[in-house]
Amino acid sequence: MTVLTELPAGHTFEPFSFNVDARRVRAYRDATGDALSLYDRAGVVPPLAIAAVALGVLLESVSLPPGTLHVNESLSFHRPVPVGASLECRAILAQRSVRAGLVVSVLDSEILLEGQSALTARATVMSPQPS
Amino acid sequence: MNAPEVLPVARKLSQSMIDAYADASGDHNPIHIDEAFAKTTPMGGTIAHGMLVLSFLSQMMTAAFGARWLEAGSLEVRFRAPARPGDTLTARTTDLKEAEGRLRYAVECVNQADEVLISGTAEVRL
Repeated sequence: MTVLTELPAGHTFEPFSFNVDARRVRAYRDATGDALSLYDRAGVVPPLAIAAVALGVLLESVSLPPGTLHVNESLSFHRPVPVGASLECRAILAQRSVRAGLVVSVLDSEILLEGQSALTARATVMSPQPS
Repeated sequence: MNAPEVLPVARKLSQSMIDAYADASGDHNPIHIDEAFAKTTPMGGTIAHGMLVLSFLSQMMTAAFGARWLEAGSLEVRFRAPARPGDTLTARTTDLKEAEGRLRYAVECVNQADEVLISGTAEVRL
């Protein structure tokens, strides 16, 4: 499996599709203690669940070195996502640098619902430099 | 739209909660779920996923703004310190500014010692 810290800046990940089905949403809401009734009434997904599931799918093809820490996160939500929706994720390693022996990676991603942007995100993580 | 009251969200963090989040998200980085490994790192023990702690801020904003948060909300945060099993975490706002059609809150998540673990802004387009 590819390791994130081995990828060059500008690397574009293969776009992938994923589904936020009721089982995944329930597991996410149970884990985060999110009991807001809005999601049940409207049949929509907590926005951070979308980002979390997308990251999980991405991590099936690229691994984070043990000890990797999340440093910054920016998220913008553009439209509600119904439970059960099929989504597409496009992601790029926007920046990669080395500071004090740590690899700093900036990952930009966009989640699309029926071709329209539903969520955009920028995550910055710091990883131990491979020896 | 008038600024609604944004009530704090408090959660007691446990290792089982972190484990459940790892399964739900697919992020099984050992720093979160492997105590033996985590003890060998500068963290000295397992820590919660940043996105798990961040979810409490999003829950707080969703509770206040409802569906508007899901279509016009944004978060920009820095993870400043780790959250650990046993911590009691509180997500809260500390300031509000209204400008250019946006409500902009300063937000943070603190532990039981009032240590800031996450800080940043939450915005809602009006």
